[in-house]
Amino acid sequence: MPKFGQMTEESAIVEWRKKEGEKVAKGDVLFTVETDKSVMEAESFFEGTLIKILVQPGVNVPVQSTVGWVGTPGEAIPAVEAPQPAPKPKAEPVGRTVPSAPQPVITAPEPRSASAATVPAPVASPALFRISPRAAKLAENCVIDATKIRGSGPQGRVVEKDVRGYLDYQGYDKLRISPAAKQLAKKEGIDVLMLRRDGERISVADVERAIAEKPKMMSKMRQVIAQRLTQSVVTAPHFFVTVSVDMTDLVKFRASLKEAGQPYTVTDFISQAVILTLKEFPEFNSSTDGKSIRWNSHVNLGMAVSLEQGLVVPVIRNAEDLTLLELNQQTKALADKARSGKLAPQEMSGSTFTISNMGMLDVENFTAIINTGEAAILAVSSTIKQPVVREDKVVIRQLMKITLSSDHRLIDGAQAAKFINALKKKLEDIELWKLLTS
Amino acid sequence: METFDIVVIGAGPGGYPAAIRAAQLGANVAIVEREQLGGTCLNCGCIPTKALIAASETFAHIKHAAAFGIHVKEATADYSGMVAHKNKLVTQMRGGIKQLLTGNGVKHLTGTASFIDRTTLDVSGTRIGAKKVIIATGSTSVMPGFLPKSPRIVESKAFLELDKLPSSLIVMGGGYIGCELACMAAQCGVKVTIVELLEDILLLLDADVRREVRTHMEKNLGITIRTGKPLEKDEAEAAEMVLVAVGRKPVTDGLNLQNAGLTTNDKGYIEADEYGRTKVATIYAIGDVTGKIQLAHYATAQAMVAASNACGQRAEKHDTLVPGVIFTSPEVALVGLTEEEAKKTGRGIATGKFRFGGLGRAMAAGETVGFVKWIADAATDQLLGAAVVGPRATDLIAEAAVAIRAELTARELGKTIHAHPTFAEAWMEAAHAVHGECVHAAPKRR
Repeated sequence: MPKFGQMTEESAIVEWRKKEGEKVAKGDVLFTVETDKSVMEAESFFEGTLIKILVQPGVNVPVQSTVGWVGTPGEAIPAVEAPQPAPKPKAEPVGRTVPSAPQPVITAPEPRSASAATVPAPVASPALFRISPRAAKLAENCVIDATKIRGSGPQGRVVEKDVRGYLDYQGYDKLRISPAAKQLAKKEGIDVLMLRRDGERISVADVERAIAEKPKMMSKMRQVIAQRLTQSVVTAPHFFVTVSVDMTDLVKFRASLKEAGQPYTVTDFISQAVILTLKEFPEFNSSTDGKSIRWNSHVNLGMAVSLEQGLVVPVIRNAEDLTLLELNQQTKALADKARSGKLAPQEMSGSTFTISNMGMLDVENFTAIINTGEAAILAVSSTIKQPVVREDKVVIRQLMKITLSSDHRLIDGAQAAKFINALKKKLEDIELWKLLTS
Repeated sequence: METFDIVVIGAGPGGYPAAIRAAQLGANVAIVEREQLGGTCLNCGCIPTKALIAASETFAHIKHAAAFGIHVKEATADYSGMVAHKNKLVTQMRGGIKQLLTGNGVKHLTGTASFIDRTTLDVSGTRIGAKKVIIATGSTSVMPGFLPKSPRIVESKAFLELDKLPSSLIVMGGGYIGCELACMAAQCGVKVTIVELLEDILLLLDADVRREVRTHMEKNLGITIRTGKPLEKDEAEAAEMVLVAVGRKPVTDGLNLQNAGLTTNDKGYIEADEYGRTKVATIYAIGDVTGKIQLAHYATAQAMVAASNACGQRAEKHDTLVPGVIFTSPEVALVGLTEEEAKKTGRGIATGKFRFGGLGRAMAAGETVGFVKWIADAATDQLLGAAVVGPRATDLIAEAAVAIRAELTARELGKTIHAHPTFAEAWMEAAHAVHGECVHAAPKRR
């Protein structure tokens, strides 16, 4: 298992691109790996035949462990054990999310813990579920989840009479289910008692719905997004400031540049304006842990790019050193890489300020969540023709709303207002762009 | 202007049950029909063809009666007599519908209905108000444009009105209508050729079922079947008679749907959902004109649901498990998924087949052609589909439809005691065959 990125300790194979017994040339993609941030391709360093796959897709294993063998067919495979799946943070049973089911009336007598003796009586570990073979068979035939039953046997062992009592309590004999639905539920491990719909016969469609509703693991990427954004919202007190930027002149100017064969995009102008503004307001290019503040000497500009599977933020390093043309080229190259899933881990980390541009998605305004470790993020919305008042006359102008989300631990409202207006002023100052592009 | 709670347009197997159900639910109902009560089904479809097929089957039985030791000298088929039987039956059944409508207090209006607006209709000059409208105008045969207009080139409706059969007949189109009439004509001694543009006739069936019917039609009925090539214009012109059975198209002419704010889709159908609702809240559509499954019993199922929904009952969807029956010789019927469709769903499939040749009752009756087949989910054993080709197929399919709708497993069906000796036993045997446990068939060679 290759190690992609400094922080990666474990990864899962997404897909084996070669089958066992298939010829492999040097440089062929053997399998793809899901890391915290993206899906990477693992190429073969050797020529030969894939003789054994040790790790199936979806299993997290430590990096640098053996996942398969390339050699000559018939060759003995070295006696190395398949890597053990990386320990899950918490072994929670993947079951249906059910509001706490009513408990059966027949419950095990409460263990008289520490009533008289000073040493607490041994209590069965909740992780250990004990059931007699007869009880297990009965539960299996009834297609119910036996782990919901409290056992009356030694150490809480569930015995047949517990299952019968539970079935009685649950009114199992009143449950009506089609034979095919019962078979399907059995195959998929769905508790038929959870499918009950007041008196109506449970059909295959009901079981299929339950299967579809079964919680599934999110992709690694979504899990990381979930964790990072939650962390940001919980730790950084966000506040938002919005202004409308009059883009009429800049859009016109950009069109004339395009006609002249120049590559600049509106996105480039926004990035450049942000970089310039950050130099005037360095507190927006800083980060905090709540106690200390770190002023970043470089502007590493993150650009949120939406992909089918999630969100990635490629980073333009030392953006303040780039010319507008270099900025244009790097932006384009990184966006292409992001879309084809070829971003290297170091191209997705270390940003100091992020722009989220939804201009092409027809939105009037939105707010973004600050990338953890940064002070602010800029949300760029669509440019829309609107009636506005200029010199006491209503005229049609192209307006673009931009919203700055700031971390209130570092930044106060007045600063944010100054920052965003400075930014707006730059975007509306056509002379500036003439200078930067000539 | 008289105003009704519900006006049904079209009195076929969709329209008249809708009208009656709505009346049963207490609505003040009118039904508009520009031709005869009963629609295509009764007047030029299901019923008249079955009257003729019953006659031609009887004739075929008589010809083969010698096998039972019964000798009939010089049996002849008098087609005009068969037609007389058919006409009498149709007239009688039309009267039956009229009685049912009257008995339920449904007002029968004759004429062409046309929308003035969403809730007003013109029926050949008379305006009526309609709080809700159910469109059930059905479909009609398609006649390809390249065919010359000639009394020798007919579609099914005109064909059923003949009082004499030609000595030879080309049937254009190997769908179920063409095949049924081809078998009937062949049994009456007509030299029949079926010309089908696609690679086989009756393509909705699984290949094994198709092969069984086709072999019998070719070998025992002497029908020539040509597939994969179109009928040429000069062939059509040279033929003694051509029966065109290439499909059906919706009937919406004269309705002035646009006045009600309704449009048809690109194929000319009025789209309706599983509740029978169109895009206009007060207008429902059912049957062939909705372009879903063009079968009388499907129209009736849609009718029941649309009528009760239009009457403000708790909205319900109609069922979607629709058996199909084909009155060829031998008969064919199917319900649920075909084997091919089931495989396309990507799940594991187990099938169980039983031939009538292994069934006592079928052997006694001398009707051993064909088989029944279950298609089951290999993992859950659920019965997903069934097909039957052979004697009484069209009646036998009812058991399969009930079993599939009830979501029975092959195991459950196999445990159901079937009376001996009957044709229906074949279902039980085939259910056993799904698990390779059939008693009355040699085990599969391994």
